[in-house]
Amino acid sequence: MRVLIGKRAFLFALFVLLFVIPWVANEYQTFVANLILLYVILSLGLNLLIGFAGQLALANAAMYGIGAYGTGLLMTHFGLPYWISAPGGVAIAVISGTLLALPALRLSGIYLALATLAFAQFTFWLMTHWTPVTFGAGGFIPPPIDFSPLPVTQETGIYYLSWAAALLLYVAAKHAMESPVGRAFVAIRDGEVAAQALGIDLLKYKSLAFAMSGFYAGVAGALYSGLLGFVGPESFDLLQMVLHKAAVVLGGMGSVVGSLIGGVLLTVLVEVTKEFKFSIEIAFGGLLIVFVLFQPNGVIVFVRRLLPGWTERLHYVPPDKESEEDLAAAPDPDPDAAPGPEEPTRAAAAGPRGGDPG
Amino acid sequence: MEYLSYLVATGISTGALYALVALGIVVIYKATEVVNFAHGEMFMLGGFFAFTFHVMLGWPYLPSFALAVALAFAVGVAVDRIAFRPLMQRRTLVSVLLVMIGLSFVLKGVARWIWGGKGDYLTFPPLISPEPLSFAGIMVMSQQLVVLGAACAVMIVFALFFKLTRAGRFMQATADNPKAAKLVGLRTDRVYMYTFGVGSAVAAAAAVLMAPLTLLYPDIGFMLFVKAFAAAVLGGLTSIPGAVVGGFLIGIIEQLAAGYLHTAMQEVAAFIVIMIVMIFIPTGLFGLGRIRKV
Amino acid sequence: MTEAALKVRGVSIAFGGVSALEAVDVDFPEGEITGIIGPNGAGKTTLLNVICGMNPPDAGDVLLKDRTITGLRPNRIAALGLRRTFQSSQLFAGMTVLENMMAGLHLMSTTGLFGAVLRSKRMRAEEEEMRERALAALDFVGFRHFANRTGDALSFGQQRIIEIARTLIHEPKVVLLDEPAVGLSVNRVAELDALLRRIRDERGVTLVMIEHVIRLVMGVSDRVVVLNSGRKIAEGLPESVRADPAVAEAYLGHRTNARAPSQ
Repeated sequence: MRVLIGKRAFLFALFVLLFVIPWVANEYQTFVANLILLYVILSLGLNLLIGFAGQLALANAAMYGIGAYGTGLLMTHFGLPYWISAPGGVAIAVISGTLLALPALRLSGIYLALATLAFAQFTFWLMTHWTPVTFGAGGFIPPPIDFSPLPVTQETGIYYLSWAAALLLYVAAKHAMESPVGRAFVAIRDGEVAAQALGIDLLKYKSLAFAMSGFYAGVAGALYSGLLGFVGPESFDLLQMVLHKAAVVLGGMGSVVGSLIGGVLLTVLVEVTKEFKFSIEIAFGGLLIVFVLFQPNGVIVFVRRLLPGWTERLHYVPPDKESEEDLAAAPDPDPDAAPGPEEPTRAAAAGPRGGDPG
Repeated sequence: MEYLSYLVATGISTGALYALVALGIVVIYKATEVVNFAHGEMFMLGGFFAFTFHVMLGWPYLPSFALAVALAFAVGVAVDRIAFRPLMQRRTLVSVLLVMIGLSFVLKGVARWIWGGKGDYLTFPPLISPEPLSFAGIMVMSQQLVVLGAACAVMIVFALFFKLTRAGRFMQATADNPKAAKLVGLRTDRVYMYTFGVGSAVAAAAAVLMAPLTLLYPDIGFMLFVKAFAAAVLGGLTSIPGAVVGGFLIGIIEQLAAGYLHTAMQEVAAFIVIMIVMIFIPTGLFGLGRIRKV
Repeated sequence: MTEAALKVRGVSIAFGGVSALEAVDVDFPEGEITGIIGPNGAGKTTLLNVICGMNPPDAGDVLLKDRTITGLRPNRIAALGLRRTFQSSQLFAGMTVLENMMAGLHLMSTTGLFGAVLRSKRMRAEEEEMRERALAALDFVGFRHFANRTGDALSFGQQRIIEIARTLIHEPKVVLLDEPAVGLSVNRVAELDALLRRIRDERGVTLVMIEHVIRLVMGVSDRVVVLNSGRKIAEGLPESVRADPAVAEAYLGHRTNARAPSQ
């Protein structure tokens, strides 16, 4: 079935729907909708780092936890109000995220994965064992949040905060990725050496990618502590890491709107999986495998196919050559369509070896 | 002093375990330039296979051991088929690692489904009497000695396999220079497959040896993988002796941290060490200096 | 001979104890095309890597005009007006040709993350200007119609030309080309020859080119430098280099792994 609906109309409808949910839905449905908003933020942030900048970092769940713990602990230990603690928690997440860029500047690929994994495990260990500060494995209940001049409950307040944050962060990610910053990220992902040769500062843009994803995860964490009214380590374990990865891959790596869709789908799927008591590990591990193997551009591909009004750039697989091209009018009769000897046409990963004389 | 030697002795026996798992990681990395994030699950499954045969079905120890190792070899081959080979063409590191992480979770979920849920720790009976022995004034568990001896035996068999057998030499050749190996007619894809299989078999052997000391639970795999990965990187990631030394070092450091700082430090010492190593000596102790791929 | 736009002074570098360049001195005259030839393993690409900052030399200096650029990071050197291409195509596969070109103008942007997020007026004006300049640069090589394609949808030869256009987009002083003719058909090599001359004559860019296609390098270069085993063994006008016995010796002595400089 083909529906004539553009991207703007879809996004408008989605956010309007999410806006009215607290009025029309029950408490559980509103809670799930709030989770959707958080996973949208999480997968946007992770996509900036993995999908756009190509940095395989495994510490996103830890950043999320740092945001939640930072916020909750500032409220609990220092009695600070939420509107101070939440930015504080986010700031801590951004700082730790940026520190993670430190190894990323010297390491790439597998080493970066290990460094970030070790960091994530270390963070999780602090949450479970640094009892005087983090209250240990049992977690803690931060004080209730007071929205007092406004006549709203904590649930409603957090919901609309999440809604506004998701909307703003979506727009911010979209704008940033359609700017020199986004081009620098993709350039670093597709060829660090060539990017540097064009004057792109790896130091600056890798740090920026880590800081941005730390910011997004931190915001989601700060909201999560208010949503749940409880903070405990099990919300930020390895399974959470896989869920974030699955959301990004499901929506489409390197697609901002894909992350929006991925966040929505993932949350719904998690609830369905729980409903049927199916193993969440098998479900989402499997999802990750299937999508990376068979549809690395995520569901955004199907969306594009179903909705002709939807123009969307795909980052991993070249789009159909005949579609949506305004300038590419003339086909090129090219005598040497064959690639050169031993040289791959698609040289995303290949490149000159740094220390190869001659 | 006695306390110190006790800690070191315990560290050596857990270190042997890390070394065995790290060995598989290094062998696979050398051949394929990919770290198998599901490698810990090979260990975990090996342990559960042996548990099924030896404890649940009551088979004797040796056949159980052999069959568990053989099955793990098969699972390793499956990892190659599912996660590695399909991505050979358009291989980007991110996609390979994402698939392997996915696979690791699927296997963990399957194990939980078959052998028990969260918090179920299965005990594996020790091979010999559990009484501690006094050895040159140091108290050690006899099982620790068995493990250490067996781990050394596995490492020696492994080294001989590489030196003496055709398959081993093919793997070595492919690891050293995949392009040249392909040119002289080696079927590199087949070599990759065997490499994944052999790496997994070693992990399973480690699991069966170690199960009486560690207990078995579905989450053991990934935890062990991260530590063994750290050990492998400490040793330079491309060096087999490096992986063994790295494994022992991580094991000993953990015990020392637990003994002198805080017991809870045992779980996290490896991660702190590896973060420091990655920041200050990213090539590891035996590395070749090739960390940045362009 | 005009003044040198780029000077290499006594550059030496070794990898793992193996010397790749030994005390190499070369001047690259402004507004000229300098070809670098030599057998495989002579250190040609290493010299380019040293110049552009990818491999800092163990000894010696690189000067852009009169400014020492030794030891600067590649992106700093690029900012000073030196660009390069690579042996294998390095178009960013995830971007369209237009975006690839705009990435070449990265240093033009002054607004940063906040300007981008807020879509400030200045940021939009800059984007528009980058777009115009990117399209103009594509016009220069006659590839405007490829603007919205992704790099990997093009042939290898087309990718090489677009890469060259990308190096020109930010008005560089010096451009280094690493085997631009690799994998090109005979017709395409002729087009490349014409393009290189236009770059020199219309843009006034100093070109440094490593090339194995001897017809191209001898035809288009104003000067030729010959490297062998990490040393400069000859330098001068193409005809004099061709006649130099040391050059013939270097190629004949390596007949097994190199093409001789004659046709």
